[in-house]
Amino acid sequence: MIIDGKWHDKRSAAQFSASFKVSDDSFCINIETGTEYRGKLDSLELSDRLANVQRKIILENGSVFITNDNDSIDNIFKKRLKYKKMIHTLETKTIWILIAIVVSVIFGVSFFKWGIPYFSKEIAHSLPTKTNILISKNTLDLLDKHIFKKTEISQKTILQIREHFHSNIASLGKLEDGLKYNLHFRLLKSGDFSLPNAMALPSGDIILTDKFVQLCQSQEEMDSVLLHEMGHIVHRDSLQILISGTFISVAIMAIIGDVNFLADMSVGIGSLLISSSYTREHEHKADIYAFEKMLSAKIDPIAFSNIMNRMSEYMDKYLSSDDEVDLLEYISTHPKTNQRIAIAKHYSECFKKGLTTCSQ
Amino acid sequence: MKTLEFNGNASEYFKIWIVNILLIILTLGLYYPWAKVRNNRYFYANSALDGRSFEYHATGKQLFFAYLIAMGLFISYVVIQEVSPLGSLVILGILFLIIPWVILRSMMFKMRMTSFSNIHFGFNGDIKQAYINFLAYPIALYIGLFAIFMLMLYTKSIDGIAGSILTISLLVILIGVMIYGLAYIKKRSTHYFIDNSQYGQGLFKTNLDIKKLAIILSKTIGVAVLSIVVIFIVVGLITYLTIGIETIAGFNQVGEDPNILKNKIALILPMIIAIYICMIFAMIFIISYSLARHRKYIYENTNLDEKINFISTLKVFPLAWVLISNFIIIIFTFGFGTPWAKVRVARLMLKNTHVKAENGFDEYISKEQSNISSLGEQIGDVFNVDVGIGV
Repeated sequence: MIIDGKWHDKRSAAQFSASFKVSDDSFCINIETGTEYRGKLDSLELSDRLANVQRKIILENGSVFITNDNDSIDNIFKKRLKYKKMIHTLETKTIWILIAIVVSVIFGVSFFKWGIPYFSKEIAHSLPTKTNILISKNTLDLLDKHIFKKTEISQKTILQIREHFHSNIASLGKLEDGLKYNLHFRLLKSGDFSLPNAMALPSGDIILTDKFVQLCQSQEEMDSVLLHEMGHIVHRDSLQILISGTFISVAIMAIIGDVNFLADMSVGIGSLLISSSYTREHEHKADIYAFEKMLSAKIDPIAFSNIMNRMSEYMDKYLSSDDEVDLLEYISTHPKTNQRIAIAKHYSECFKKGLTTCSQ
Repeated sequence: MKTLEFNGNASEYFKIWIVNILLIILTLGLYYPWAKVRNNRYFYANSALDGRSFEYHATGKQLFFAYLIAMGLFISYVVIQEVSPLGSLVILGILFLIIPWVILRSMMFKMRMTSFSNIHFGFNGDIKQAYINFLAYPIALYIGLFAIFMLMLYTKSIDGIAGSILTISLLVILIGVMIYGLAYIKKRSTHYFIDNSQYGQGLFKTNLDIKKLAIILSKTIGVAVLSIVVIFIVVGLITYLTIGIETIAGFNQVGEDPNILKNKIALILPMIIAIYICMIFAMIFIISYSLARHRKYIYENTNLDEKINFISTLKVFPLAWVLISNFIIIIFTFGFGTPWAKVRVARLMLKNTHVKAENGFDEYISKEQSNISSLGEQIGDVFNVDVGIGV
């Protein structure tokens, strides 16, 4: 067999036409200048095949024979290439390409759907308690400075709420050593409008706004929301959100990273869309946490439904002019209120039957 | 005069790319160095001039340990950045300090691992010059600009016409120093990259004029300002006609509640997205302008042994078009169009690169080169440090 190609002397740019002849296990290279090299095939070094790019054979004396006739080379060195050809085989067989596409898609989707939440959860729970305190440090101060105003609730009411919470509710969701629940009361206003809200910091601090306290018509209602917030703290949701955010940015960078500067610009939109779906999941889990604790503490979960209804009615009044809320379903972080209420009602059914657990 | 050509094609490269991804997934990332090698080999070997091609010589084994170290550094950087603001500041400081070293080592590794027509390239820059060019000069420029800015704050407080005149003249000086300073840094860094590069025994040499670079930079800034003005006029007009100005005017009364803010955002969301996308396109256009103009000027003034010359015919609009359409391709194919996008860029770049070598390359011989670790190159890779003149 004769293969046509080019020949370079060791470390020389000068290129000469050459032919490569094989008989049994020896070769002969004839160069256009008249020079001839002979030897055993075993003494040659061969570059791996890659698509149809130039193949390189290095002789013992360091000179190089190059050719585009990849198929003939593969044929000659068949024995030697048995395993080395594996990747090239993957790259040329349609079935493997299809498998690769399917695996990549499945992996990509599952990574975002289950992988990131799973790892975020595992990592969040394996970090020391100190991390919780570290990331919520200054948060309340910052919120006080920019968003909250001083509460207008009477000191007596505050003391009552705290007293009830610490003696009846706090013990339902045990925190790890070093953390303890702490209730804070603040006024949150938008224009002249006082807003109901409750939020939790990883350190165990729970903030209730004045309007929320006013809207609560029973102890159970307030307890249900407090348990929801405790769920966030016990689940370490803030930490999970931080960690998953990092995963998302790095993953997007890795996907688009090849195209360099475009990556930075795409991270923003991508993160927003993906992370809001994770946050909805956290809210859902905090709801379930609250319902289960309520069942075990003999509180009717319908209370959660009642307070959610009242809060959303109240907000509707405020938002009455806006009708394009649907558009934001994509980037909304909370599950739809009516879905949450439906689940609350489901748990309430269980409660009425006297159950302490409730299958979904 | 000969033109470079790219002989690869997207469907062939797609197969290599997707198998790389498959193996990276199956090995949980450990295959990456080998994937990178296959990837680079494909692009280098398919780049040809006058029937002779380039070759990428690094092996997966050679990159593997450096890759592990670089990855370890990157992961600790990401983790520390999340949990401790102070820690991330310290790490950013360290990164900033090692960038010149990373650039030097990357250049050395990349050039040595590249050959054309059997001859290896080389890079012989020294570390002191790297620190001067990539650390000292940029810091000096920032300090200078900051000082002028502080002075401006002071003159602004002076009453009367004298204060205004002083402030305006300082503004002019500020802009002048910025443009001239950046042009100087560009000149120094480009000289560093090119003048220290070798092809076999041959030496590259460039000769850039700071005034020309300053003009390119000023024009780039002009293009940037113009495109932003155009975006705001267009988007503003569309907004005015569709959403109406009242919605936007009412925006500052929203207050702080996130829920209400969100509902308001829903109304103007289409506009925000439009601005965001236009901004990305404008950014790509500005980058294309700067890249094409710099490339043309730098190539014209670069030679190898004063015998071999280079010309770039890369134009702004074709480049911007390829980059913008690539962006769209990648987004809409969820990344699966990346191979196509990369092949398009390679093809465009190479067909606009011309080499004038009357006596050919036959007289060149490779020099004996010592081995070099790939650590710097891998750190640069993982942390996305831009190395080289970007052409």
